[in-house]
Amino acid sequence: MEALRIDRLSKNFGGLRVLRDLSLTVEAGEYVAIIGPNGAGKTTLLNVITGELSANTGRLYLFGKDITAMPTHQRVHAGLGRSFQITRLFYDVTALDNISLALQASRPSRYQMFRRAASYSEVFAEAEGLLKAIDLWDKKDELAAGISYGEQRKMEIILALASKPKLLLMDEPTSGLAPAEIDGFIRMVKTLAAGTTLVFAAHDMDVVFDLAHRVIVLYYGQIIAEGTPEQIQGNRKVKEIYLGVEKDAPNAGVS
Amino acid sequence: MKTGRTDLHALGMQAWRGRLALYGAYALIGVIIILLPPFVSADLKSMITKVLIYGIFALSLNLLFGYTGLFSLGHAAFFGVGSYTAAILMMKYGIGNFWLLIAAGLLAATICAAFFGFIVLRVSGIYFLLVSLAIGQLLYSVAIKWRTMTGGINGIAGITYPDIGIPWFTLTSTSFYYLVFIFFVICLFLLYRVVKSPFGHALQGIRGDERRMQCLGYNTWLYKYIAFVVGGLFAGIAGVLAIYQSGVVGPTSLGVLTSTVVMLMVIIGSDRVFLGPVLGAALVVLLGHYSSIYIAERWPMILGGIFVLSVMFLRGGVSIHLVRLWKKVQYRYGST
Repeated sequence: MEALRIDRLSKNFGGLRVLRDLSLTVEAGEYVAIIGPNGAGKTTLLNVITGELSANTGRLYLFGKDITAMPTHQRVHAGLGRSFQITRLFYDVTALDNISLALQASRPSRYQMFRRAASYSEVFAEAEGLLKAIDLWDKKDELAAGISYGEQRKMEIILALASKPKLLLMDEPTSGLAPAEIDGFIRMVKTLAAGTTLVFAAHDMDVVFDLAHRVIVLYYGQIIAEGTPEQIQGNRKVKEIYLGVEKDAPNAGVS
Repeated sequence: MKTGRTDLHALGMQAWRGRLALYGAYALIGVIIILLPPFVSADLKSMITKVLIYGIFALSLNLLFGYTGLFSLGHAAFFGVGSYTAAILMMKYGIGNFWLLIAAGLLAATICAAFFGFIVLRVSGIYFLLVSLAIGQLLYSVAIKWRTMTGGINGIAGITYPDIGIPWFTLTSTSFYYLVFIFFVICLFLLYRVVKSPFGHALQGIRGDERRMQCLGYNTWLYKYIAFVVGGLFAGIAGVLAIYQSGVVGPTSLGVLTSTVVMLMVIIGSDRVFLGPVLGAALVVLLGHYSSIYIAERWPMILGGIFVLSVMFLRGGVSIHLVRLWKKVQYRYGST
């Protein structure tokens, strides 16, 4: 079954054509990496899929359903989730409140005005589970602003997963993490996102080769290559524009 | 599930013990307000009534200002609509029943907020501030021009206490004081429930990061719209009560001047502490009253001075500093 179909999508910022007539299909259960140099349109593509930006032309289908005209929150209820490259948490409340807010979003009680938010024991229990899964349970009462950057990055993913999305978009999930933290982080994503379709933008080739089943190479708003990580690794054109031009080294850009 | 519930109770109990002293302090203030009337001048009694009314008004603005991050400079519009609705029905149509008047004022303010909410929430940030300002000024000019109904620039004067539907009972300044106190407690309770609910938490999330909230699945526009209408409703209640405290209603009650004063109450008192706006209302109303007794016409300058000083030295509002002080005292004397 196809999770996401992008049909001839274009996005312009004034005269700048950021996405050009882009088509792409992602199968359910697939892990797809979007790579490309800075300014290739990776983040814009994610923003158009979530509806934070509207496309100029083209259509979007999520699990067969046309979501082109849907506002962002409806797309989320239809099974979409996303995390951001620059961490976006609710910094003036606790880690627990961050997760609870994310969990409430997919319940009818999100509009409830006269019952204490803290009295939803099922939300509390689920938040406990999620925070324990990322080893942050002992920091549940700390302000999100006060936990370490690595922990904030984990929270970033957890917030996006709270609605149990069927398709999760991640923008540079490991952005800013120390090399030593990345392996553990990817393992965590694999565990938590089990059963979810993943589309993620990435700069870090280790992450791409570790996580992706398929790699899409974006260059000036167009897909110029796609294939398994190994195929992309061997693609001469990709090497030239993205991985560098060291023609002799077979593993250029890959440590 | 089971461990979750136990932990929740443990947390609840801990918080309860820590807050017991605080609730005690609130109860004490409540008792003082109840016992006060026989011991104070008619003047001060009237001013405390005004504090309670503007307390409701400032709390209603803070639902938008502090909790949702919507900086409305037109909030007085709904206060004024409440005032005018009740005043016109009473003085032009001879409806004297308080419950009918408050229902009408509340309804008119709510409908107004529901209508203007569609316009003002098309924009955000500084544009929201400007459009909300324009709405207040629009209603202000309606109040000036529609003389036959509103009394024009002079407004409607000579408003007496309404009939509250008990045959052998007529309102006096003291019973009105208690009536306002009851309304204040009810509004305080309801608004407190709202800000502590999932809905209220979502509003605070929108203040923090609206785009993230959308990506979590919240229809942020609808939340802001509901908050705007609820804020208008409570402002309308305050507006109706205000005409019986002052005996008059004039066009300024709808305009930017009133909106600014109530915003200053919120900022001076603190927008991040639930009761902050009430303290702000008390400071502004009482200082305003007493300073104009001694140095009339200098009040705007003094208010400006208080605002500048509070922003410079008590950033975040007076209440937030009181809360910090309270926590220090608690820490020092180990009451956890």
